[in-house]
Amino acid sequence: MDNQITKPEDFFKFKIKDFAFRVEGADPGDFITYTESKCNGCGECVLVCTVNLWSMPKDAKKAKLSSKYKDVCMECAACYAVCDKDAIDFRYPNGGAGIIIKHG
Amino acid sequence: MAKYDVAIAGAGPGGSYAAKTAAELGLKTVFFERSRKVGEKNASGCGLGQRWWRDFPEIMEKVEKLPSYRDIHSCIFKIVDEDDNLVTTISTTKTKKDAERIMYKGIPRAMSGTSIYRCDLDPLLADLACEAGAELRTSTLVTDVMKENGRVTGLVTDKGEKIEADIVIGADGAHSIVAIKSGIRKRWRKDQITLIPQIDFKCNEQRLDDVIGPAEWVWFGPFCGAYQVNFRDGFHLGLGQWLDIWALKPADMIKRVLKIPAFQAMCRAVDAEMREYQIHMLPWMEKPGKSYADGVMLIGDAGGFPCPLEGEGVWHACFTGKYAAETAAEAISNGDPTTRTLQKYEAKWRQPPLGLEYEYGKEFVALWKNSAFNPEFMKKMVQFLGELQWLNFPSPIFDWSDDHMSSFNDHLGHVLDLLPELSEFAEKYVIPMKRGISDTNREKIANMISGSISAKLPGFIPDWPVKSIVRKKLGLK
Repeated sequence: MDNQITKPEDFFKFKIKDFAFRVEGADPGDFITYTESKCNGCGECVLVCTVNLWSMPKDAKKAKLSSKYKDVCMECAACYAVCDKDAIDFRYPNGGAGIIIKHG
Repeated sequence: MAKYDVAIAGAGPGGSYAAKTAAELGLKTVFFERSRKVGEKNASGCGLGQRWWRDFPEIMEKVEKLPSYRDIHSCIFKIVDEDDNLVTTISTTKTKKDAERIMYKGIPRAMSGTSIYRCDLDPLLADLACEAGAELRTSTLVTDVMKENGRVTGLVTDKGEKIEADIVIGADGAHSIVAIKSGIRKRWRKDQITLIPQIDFKCNEQRLDDVIGPAEWVWFGPFCGAYQVNFRDGFHLGLGQWLDIWALKPADMIKRVLKIPAFQAMCRAVDAEMREYQIHMLPWMEKPGKSYADGVMLIGDAGGFPCPLEGEGVWHACFTGKYAAETAAEAISNGDPTTRTLQKYEAKWRQPPLGLEYEYGKEFVALWKNSAFNPEFMKKMVQFLGELQWLNFPSPIFDWSDDHMSSFNDHLGHVLDLLPELSEFAEKYVIPMKRGISDTNREKIANMISGSISAKLPGFIPDWPVKSIVRKKLGLK
């Protein structure tokens, strides 16, 4: 692995993408469904997402889901859990696709 | 369309244990895992407590032989202040009496729990279920339940396959599709569920033995508690926070721990290298939610069963898996898979030992939320723990900042200043648990207090009125 961070003083500079693993080439399906019209702009999804899939554009009052979510999502479902307005639905990627936890 | 007695969503410890139990009871059982192989999709540091030797000893005999096994005898708390300085170290302790509380095959086991990677534990349990005759399907996500007149009658997979079953068991974790689709609940309330980022580190095994040994570590301070679960050749660092109180991004919280100089020193000592990042939700609530409906039962994290005091949930998952499978067998044999039979599942898990976990759930959660998860309180607590340590024998002797009595008075004064605020906390969050003190111990306390009062009174006053008043105060007859 060329992304190893071996010096303890550099640990906190880690990039999540270098330490997350997923199945390559498998189709995860549309596992997050976002209904923008239900969004009230509270921004909790933006705060809770570790990999910044959700953003709140300055002019808009609605959250925006990254187009790259299928490649980056850590599958914690926290965005579903914090959305009181039911704007976010989450059902996990298709079987055999998505995140791999090697040392769970 | 295939027809099963029991269909289980999820092959974590709970799902596999349910499948094992159901198959052993002669039920035609299928269980589903969304990853390519079991143990690849979980996200958890895993400590199996000593009581596993009492409740699941045949599993523990196999767990001991798994590659990531580390014997765990104690837990070390590293107390850190708001400026990331290591203030003091506190350790759990055990006596010979504790060790003998659990005996298995003539060997005392209560000193020894274990840390085990879930990538080892989960396949072990799934294999046992398959050996018992259950059918495992991997790479299959359960996306929905089938329903008939409000009763759950099977599962639907991501491939559109319909799996008909007399009983469905939801073992699909904190974000349980079975719970949501069967209508038992929607999302947990934000004060019922925590989010846990976790980093795995690879270490030099020999150094881990020398530096850490048979112990879990906890980094504890105003930034919140982070657990360090130590395995044979690596460790997990993780921390959790209820969803209603995240103030920082989860990853930023864990980065705070990575900056602690004492943490970095430990990492150098064990040759730690970052290896993996994961994040998962964990229900952490006063007591489990609704755990059944017509044709369906929820077990483990899906039902909100983790311990309200420390959040461990594998033991709870296995017990609920066992109870759900037993209830399913009963429902199938009497031909009634409705709530009338399935309510027996709740009656089962409310019994000891599992039911006892939730008896003080309200107090346990309140205790946590108002201590470890309250940074302002923790700042004072860290000072208090540091001062208590100072007042131990070594510090007053080796503090040469002034004459010994002056420095002693300085620290004693600080403790006395801190006490009122901490006793307010104790009054609110610790004292309510006093109903848990056993009658035997109340008797001992009553005898001690009334004996010491009577000894100071003139001899002509009889003992019984004093004894009677003290006993009444302590809630004894």
